[in-house]
Amino acid sequence: MERRLVIKQVLIMAGGLALLPSCLREEGKSTVQLKNITVSLDEENLLAEIAETIIPRTSTPGARELKLHLFVLKMLDDCYEEADQLRFVKGLELFKEQTRDQFGKSFGKLSVHQRESMLSKLENNPSQELSAFYKITKEKTIDGYLNSRYVMTSLVIYELVPGRYNGYYPVKTA
Amino acid sequence: MSNINIDAAKANTYDVIVIGSGISGGWAAKEFTEKGFKTLVLERGRDVQHIKDYPTTNKFPYEFEHLGEPALAIKKENPIVSRCYAFKEDAMHFMVKDKEHPYVQEKPFDWIRGYQVGGKSLLWARQTQRWSDFDFEGPARDDFAVDWPIRYKDIAPWYSYVEKFAGISGNRDGLSELPDGEFLPGFPLNAAEDYFKGIIRNKYPNRHVISARCAHLSKPNQIHLDQGRAKCQNRTLCQRGCPFGGYFSSNASTLPWAAKTGKLTLRPDAVVESVIYDDAKGKVTGVRVVDAHTKETTEYYARIVFVNAGALNTNLILLNSKSKRFPQGLGNDSGVLGKYVAFHNYSARITAEYDGLKQFATDGRNPAGGGYIPRFRNVFKQETNFKRGYAAGIYGSRYMERDRSAIGKSLKENLLHAKLSPWIMGSHMMGETIPKESNFVNLSASEKDAWGVPLLNISVAYDENDALMKQDYIEQLTEMFTEAGFKNITPNVASQAPGLDIHEMGGARMGRDPKTSILNEWNQLHTCPNVFVTDGACMTSTSTQNPSLTYMAFTARSVDYAVKAMNRGEI
Repeated sequence: MERRLVIKQVLIMAGGLALLPSCLREEGKSTVQLKNITVSLDEENLLAEIAETIIPRTSTPGARELKLHLFVLKMLDDCYEEADQLRFVKGLELFKEQTRDQFGKSFGKLSVHQRESMLSKLENNPSQELSAFYKITKEKTIDGYLNSRYVMTSLVIYELVPGRYNGYYPVKTA
Repeated sequence: MSNINIDAAKANTYDVIVIGSGISGGWAAKEFTEKGFKTLVLERGRDVQHIKDYPTTNKFPYEFEHLGEPALAIKKENPIVSRCYAFKEDAMHFMVKDKEHPYVQEKPFDWIRGYQVGGKSLLWARQTQRWSDFDFEGPARDDFAVDWPIRYKDIAPWYSYVEKFAGISGNRDGLSELPDGEFLPGFPLNAAEDYFKGIIRNKYPNRHVISARCAHLSKPNQIHLDQGRAKCQNRTLCQRGCPFGGYFSSNASTLPWAAKTGKLTLRPDAVVESVIYDDAKGKVTGVRVVDAHTKETTEYYARIVFVNAGALNTNLILLNSKSKRFPQGLGNDSGVLGKYVAFHNYSARITAEYDGLKQFATDGRNPAGGGYIPRFRNVFKQETNFKRGYAAGIYGSRYMERDRSAIGKSLKENLLHAKLSPWIMGSHMMGETIPKESNFVNLSASEKDAWGVPLLNISVAYDENDALMKQDYIEQLTEMFTEAGFKNITPNVASQAPGLDIHEMGGARMGRDPKTSILNEWNQLHTCPNVFVTDGACMTSTSTQNPSLTYMAFTARSVDYAVKAMNRGEI
């Protein structure tokens, strides 16, 4: 009972989005509560590496710090057709295999250059699963990033109450 | 009858009953209570109090579970309401879910509803234009529907009356086809919209691009501050309910105003089953209500009943109000009730790019949405192979182009350092549709809802006139965009079912002749004088203006008439 209460109060924040932690914290399962898809903790960590490769930490936070991989999983779980979810999960499998075949080690152990070149090849991959997996991951990582609390309050400010409208706002034409 | 029953009847007796708390019901409540009448407002949905019950109003995008996008399971369970542009995580709690309130689609019709105190006035697009005699004289001139029993002069003072209280922003454009009103300052066009306006003015003497007129407080007057409302803060998150009361809604304006008089009783969760006609007394005595939760039936009594349930639901209630005198529904001797339903044709849009004026962009947000082109087809004379015409929205904006192609540091760099796009110009049509006997609603013979009320059967469709008009809109806007030097002109004629415009009208139309209409020139049932209808059901024709302002004016005018008639002892 007490433990549940604690879990309830400790929401996982992904880019500002409040996510429920997975109830039982089963060993090896994803940290975030998912209704439709099953992702292991290892896969979740791999997804974090991929998201971090897409949007790395520079002088400002990257995808891992903003937990955008959890946002990807949340969106996939709630907003995508079952067929897409299956393709994604299968694509993730294939991705692991491909990495092993190609480099003999896991994605997390590759150099930045290797990671980037590996992902770039997925953009228009002949494998439907790989390409769906990558497209969803990249698209949602970017959406999650641009709409994260961090970016919206620190980098590209979102104004809730502009209080003004100027239809002739001067800008540089270059 | 026992004394207990007499006491109960007394406790349930009011001077006036208003069915519905949306944009027109709210006005009826305000007018009657201000004039000292004990008024009961019945709302079938839950209570929504201004500010307190706007749970999403101050949320940032990342505070929504899926950044605003409804979860797939919700979309699949609600295919109809999901097609509405406003059905997002920030406002979906104000919209009826498909399964909760089923109806029968004899033909495809997306019926978008808001069942709560304030109704759709919380969600509306807030565009407000007056009708002119080019609209009121339309049916008579072009030989369709029946002649409107009123003209512009009859309603003009009431437009002024409601505009002053609601707060309408706009410019005095001096157009006979779109009369000026009591305006707060208009929201200006932006550089690209202004440019387009200039091109059109020079090229087409009868076509005008004006600032969209809307129910926002650009510069509130004392009367608006007295309502507890403040200046519009350009949030353009209106569908969530506005914490500033920056736009007009029943919740922010008419209902609290009515409550202040001490004469208002607001009863949410009250589903009206029917209006009670007493055959012995020869008049309507009240309303029969089913509690939304307990399903318990209660009767409320009053001298006057205003039916403002929303156009199609008003038809439903009247059709379901059967008595010996009115076996086909209240006031329906003519058999016209439920027929001649019409709507606005919003099924075409067009976009383009403009490469000029790159020294300007926009800053902040425009609650008016941009510009408006009043109907220019067939206004002064018939000039096309279709009847009537269309108004058009027109808007330009430059968005931040974020290059998503790379990955890694350069992607991050590209995302954070966006480039301004060229001006993207857009327009949508708002076409008049012709009311026809074959576009109708009636009661399902076999199916009832959870409250024992027959389901509404809707049989409404586009016709050949709509198709020709749509074609003309595309041609004319393409030509106008071409004149302005716009590029990549892209029409979008993806069809949408009627209903999605959320401008359904008619069914209990006004007219002079009881044989061909339901309401007289005062929105009063021809054959049942203590019942009035001042919502969209009263509309004889649709013209092209957004209809809410006209419902407000009809309501205030009609209450004024009803009160005078009561004082004369006529009703």
